[in-house]
Amino acid sequence: MKSLFYLVIFFIIAVAVTSCEKVIDVKTDTSPSQLVIEGNITNIRQQQTIKISRSVDYTNPNVYPAVRGALVNVKDNAGNSWNFTEETPGVYRSVNILGRPGRTYTLNVNVDNNVYTASSTMPAQVRADSITLTDITFGSRTRKLVAVHYTDPKGVPNYYRYILRINGRQTNRLYVYDDRLKDGNLSKNELYPDTEDDDERNELKSGDVAEVEMQNIDKNIFNYWFTLRQQSRGGPGGGTTPGNPPSNISNGALGYFSAHTYQAISITVP
Amino acid sequence: MQYKSTIYLLLPLLFFCCFNAAAQKKFTISGTVRDAATGETLIGASVKIDGPNGKAGTATNGYGFYSLTVAEGTYTVNVSYVSYQLVTKSIQLSKNTSLNLDMKAGNELTAVVVSARDRKDQNVRSPQMGVEQLDMKLLDNLPVLFGEKDVLKTIQLLPGVKSGGEGNTGFFVRGGASDQNLILLDEATVYNSSHLLGFFSTFNADAIKTADLYKGGMPSQYGGRLSSVLDVKMNDGNSKNFSMQGGLGLISSRLKLEGPLIKDKSSFMISARRTYIDLILKAAPDSNIKGNTLNFYDLNAKVNYKFDDKNTIYLSGYFGQDNIGIKDLFTNDWGNTTATLRYNHIFNSRLFSNTSLIYNKYSYSVELLDEVNNFRATSLIRDFNFKQDFQYFSNKHTLRFGAQATHHRIAPSDLAPGSSSSFNPLSIENRYGLESSAYISDEYNVSNRLNLLYGLRASWFSLLGPGTFSTYTANGDIATSQTYERGKFVQNYFNLEPRFSASYTINERNSIKASYNRNTQNIHILSNSGSSSPTDQYVMSSNNIRPEIADQVAFGFFKNIKDNAYEFSAETYYKWMQNQIEYKDAARLLANADVESQLLFGSGRAYGLELYAKKRTGKLTGWISYTLSRTERKFAGLNNGSYFPARQDRTHDLAVVGIYKLNKRWTLSGNYIYNTGNAVTYPAGKYEIGGVTSFFYTQRNASRMPYTGRLDLSATLEGKDTGKRFRSSWSFGLYNALNRKNPYSIDFRDVPNDPTRTEAVQTALFGIIPSVTWNFKF
Repeated sequence: MKSLFYLVIFFIIAVAVTSCEKVIDVKTDTSPSQLVIEGNITNIRQQQTIKISRSVDYTNPNVYPAVRGALVNVKDNAGNSWNFTEETPGVYRSVNILGRPGRTYTLNVNVDNNVYTASSTMPAQVRADSITLTDITFGSRTRKLVAVHYTDPKGVPNYYRYILRINGRQTNRLYVYDDRLKDGNLSKNELYPDTEDDDERNELKSGDVAEVEMQNIDKNIFNYWFTLRQQSRGGPGGGTTPGNPPSNISNGALGYFSAHTYQAISITVP
Repeated sequence: MQYKSTIYLLLPLLFFCCFNAAAQKKFTISGTVRDAATGETLIGASVKIDGPNGKAGTATNGYGFYSLTVAEGTYTVNVSYVSYQLVTKSIQLSKNTSLNLDMKAGNELTAVVVSARDRKDQNVRSPQMGVEQLDMKLLDNLPVLFGEKDVLKTIQLLPGVKSGGEGNTGFFVRGGASDQNLILLDEATVYNSSHLLGFFSTFNADAIKTADLYKGGMPSQYGGRLSSVLDVKMNDGNSKNFSMQGGLGLISSRLKLEGPLIKDKSSFMISARRTYIDLILKAAPDSNIKGNTLNFYDLNAKVNYKFDDKNTIYLSGYFGQDNIGIKDLFTNDWGNTTATLRYNHIFNSRLFSNTSLIYNKYSYSVELLDEVNNFRATSLIRDFNFKQDFQYFSNKHTLRFGAQATHHRIAPSDLAPGSSSSFNPLSIENRYGLESSAYISDEYNVSNRLNLLYGLRASWFSLLGPGTFSTYTANGDIATSQTYERGKFVQNYFNLEPRFSASYTINERNSIKASYNRNTQNIHILSNSGSSSPTDQYVMSSNNIRPEIADQVAFGFFKNIKDNAYEFSAETYYKWMQNQIEYKDAARLLANADVESQLLFGSGRAYGLELYAKKRTGKLTGWISYTLSRTERKFAGLNNGSYFPARQDRTHDLAVVGIYKLNKRWTLSGNYIYNTGNAVTYPAGKYEIGGVTSFFYTQRNASRMPYTGRLDLSATLEGKDTGKRFRSSWSFGLYNALNRKNPYSIDFRDVPNDPTRTEAVQTALFGIIPSVTWNFKF
C-alpha cells in the first residue's frame, strides 16, 4: 500500500503539476573502503558464485576493486563442505554444490585474517505457473507490465524475489514480495516498471523477450532487498531515510549471502 | 512523588485567591462583545474600565464573554479590537451589572492591521508566550499556491513554525514532529488536516473566525500533544442579516451562506468548497486520463441558539472527503468528520461555564481494482469526547478549571478481498483507549508589572480491552501474549503536567517573559515517509509504547515602539523529548497486527532562537521572522546510538511578509521564504550488488539538501464601492515568482549514458504558478 501512495504522488506530479529534474553537485563524505560480499547458492547445477569486492568513495568512478586471495568455504548442515576457488579476480566459484531446499548453508570468508560468516536456509521452491503481459497507463503513458502467477503454499511464510531481464539485459528495479497478506492463494506479482525510468531499453516492445528469474529467498534476505527497495525511490528528502540494508554477514561486511531457489520463465512480446 | 511539592505550592495559592476576592466588597460588570453588523461574538477584544475608584482590564474569552470586578463608582468602559472602532461608555456601578457591547468595523483604509485582534500592547503585557494569533483578514491578501488561501500555510510564515515541505500544509513546531500538533476545529480533534496529499488544508478560510497557535507555554486546558496546539474556531453565523459570500478559483470554488434563523436568538452558517481538478481531467482528450478521479470537498456548518443572556447552545460540524482514483488500478478515499455540541452557561457575572460533547472520526479506504490483486482496505480512528470548562473571573485572578474525557477507537485495518482475489481477508483487532484529564490554571495579576499564568494538568491514559496484547523480542517476534476482556484495563499511565508562564513589564514598552511546560501524548502516528500520507497509521500508548513526554523552557524579550505600531520579540527555547518513536529497517506498518514490534524508542532535544519584527499599521504592514534552531533525535540502534539531526532540522528559517495598500482598491503583497535544506543522508561510498550500484551510508542525516528560497506575489483588486451590498474582488497570484527549482527530493543513480559514473538528481515540484480567484459577498 505504501507503493500505492508513491504511485499517487507520481501520478499527481505527472498530471497536475510541473515537476522537473536536474543534476546537482552534492558534497558527500568519504569513508574507509568496506568489504563487500555477494554470495548466492542455488538449487540448479550451475557454478555457485561468491563475489568479493570493496566499496569506493562516492565521487570515484564505478570501478570496484576485486578482493583477491580470499579463503572461501561453504558448509551445509548435512556435514558437507566445499572450498571455492578464485576463477577471475574477486570471483570465487565451486561447481560441486547443488543447493537443496531445506538445507542451511554457512559461508566462511577469510580476507587478510579477518573472518566473515553468514548463513542462509534455502526455502522450499514455489514454481511460477506462467507469466503474462498487461498494459498499464500512468497519465498519458502506456507501458507493458510483466506479471508472475503462482500458487502460494499455505501455512508457511514465503518470500519471493524476481529479476527481470529484457532481451538478456538485466533491469535495475528490485522486485521482492512476501505472502503476508496472500498466504495460500493463487497469486500474481506485478513487476512494475519504474515510473521515472526513461531508459528505452527497459521499455517492452513487440518482439522483445522478457525473462523473469524467480527466487524463493529466506526472511533475512527478503529484509535485505525490501529495505533496499524502500530506499530506492523518493531518495533523500522524499522517501524513507536511507541506511545500509541489514546484512546477514558478520563482522561489518556489506552485501548478503543467499541460498535461494531458481526458476527462469520467459515470454515474447507479441 | 516529585510532583507533590508542586501541588502543595499550587493549592494554597488558589484557595487564597478565591477567598481573597470574595472577601472584598466589590461589584462586577460582565457581558458579551459582538460585531454590530453580524452579531458574531468577538474573541480576545480588550475591555478596560477606568474610574476614580480603580481600574481593571481583561480580554473577552472564546465566546466573547468578559467579566471585571471593581469597587463601586463611576467608570468609563473602553472596548478595543483590531480593525474595529473604539467603543466608549460611561457607567455608574452600584450593583452587579450586565453590559453587552456591540462594535462597528473600522474604516478599512485606516485599519489595515497585520495581526493580533488583541489589545495592542498585549504582546508586552500578557504572561502568555509562544502564542501566535492569526488574523483571518490577513489571509485575503497573502499569496498562496493555486490561490487557495490557507490557515496552515500562513502559520508556516511565523517564527518557530517550519513547513512540512513544498506547498505542504504539514508543519513542525519548535523541533517537534508533525503528529505532535494538536489541531482543533471547534474543539474537535482533526487527525488529518490535509487534502490532496497535503497541498491544501481541511480548513476552509471562509468558515473560520479565529486561529491561535500555541508553540509553548500551553495553557493547562490544552493537552494531548507535545509540540503545539492550533485552536481553530468557526464563525457562528450572522445573526442580523442573511448574507452570502463565495469565490471562484482555478482549483476550487467556495460558497458560504449565513443568516439569522430567529432574529437575535439563533443564526446559522454553512460553508462549502469543492475542487474541479477532476472536471479538468474529464475534459482531457485522452480517455485514459478521463477515467481518473482527483477531488476533494468539504463542508462546515454551525447553528446556535440563545435561550437568554445566560444560556446559549452551539452545534457545529465539519465534513470533508478526498477521492483519488486511477482508472482500473485503484482508488483512495479519506476524510474527517467532526461534530461539536456546546452549551454556554453563565452561572453568575463571574463564573462562566462551557460544556462540550464532541465526536470526531478520520477514516480512509484503499481499493485495488486488479482482477487478481484486489481488495478494499479500510481504517479509522474515532473519538467521543466530553469537556467541562469553567472560568472564574475575580479582581486579580482569572481561574480556569475543568475536566475532559475522551474515548478512542482505532480500527487499524480491515482488508476485504473480492471473490477471486489473491488476498486473504484480514481484520486487525480494534484498539480502545480512554484519555481523561483534569486541569486548573490561574492568570494572576500580581502587580502592575508582574503577571503569572500557572496551572497543572493531570492526565490519565488507559488502554482498554477487549483484545490480545503482545510483547515482543528484539527481533520483533512475539514474546508473550495476553487476552483481555471488554472494558478491562490493559495498561494505565498517569502524568502530571505543570504549566507556568510569567511576564515582567520593565516599562510600558518592554517586558521579559519566561515559561515552562510539560506535555504528554498518547496518540501517535506511524509513517515511514517524510510527508504525511492519508494511510498513516494511528497507535495509542500501550504495553509497548509509552506516552511521549516533552518538557520545554522558554525565555523571551518583548518590545513595542511608536505607540505599538512596531512589535519586536525574541524568544529562545529548549525542549527535551522522551519516548520518541522510529521504525526498524524494513518495517511493515500497514495491515500489520504486530505493528508495535516494528518500532524503536528514543529521545529528542530541540533548541532555538526566534526573532520576530512586525509592523502593524500604515500603508505598508508585514513582518520578518527568523528562526535559528536545531532538533535532534537519539535511538539505540540508529547512528551508533548518538544524536542525529531530525529530517526537519533546518538551521536557518526566514520569512519576510509585506502587504502594501496601494490605494482604495489595490492591495499588493509578497512573501519571501528562505530555509536551510532538510537534514538528509547522502552516501559516503558505493559498491556493486547484483550488477547494480548500491550506496554505503555512514552518518544519519549528516548532509543537507540545497536551500529553499521562494518569492510569492499577489495583488488584490477590490470592486468599486457602488453603495450596494454586493461586493466583489479579484486576487491575482504568482507562486514561486522567481521560478526557482526548490529541492523536493534527491536521488543518486548511475549516469544514464555512462554507467561508470554516478550522479545526484534533484526533483523539484513547483515552478512558477499563476493563479486568479474571484470573490464575492453580499
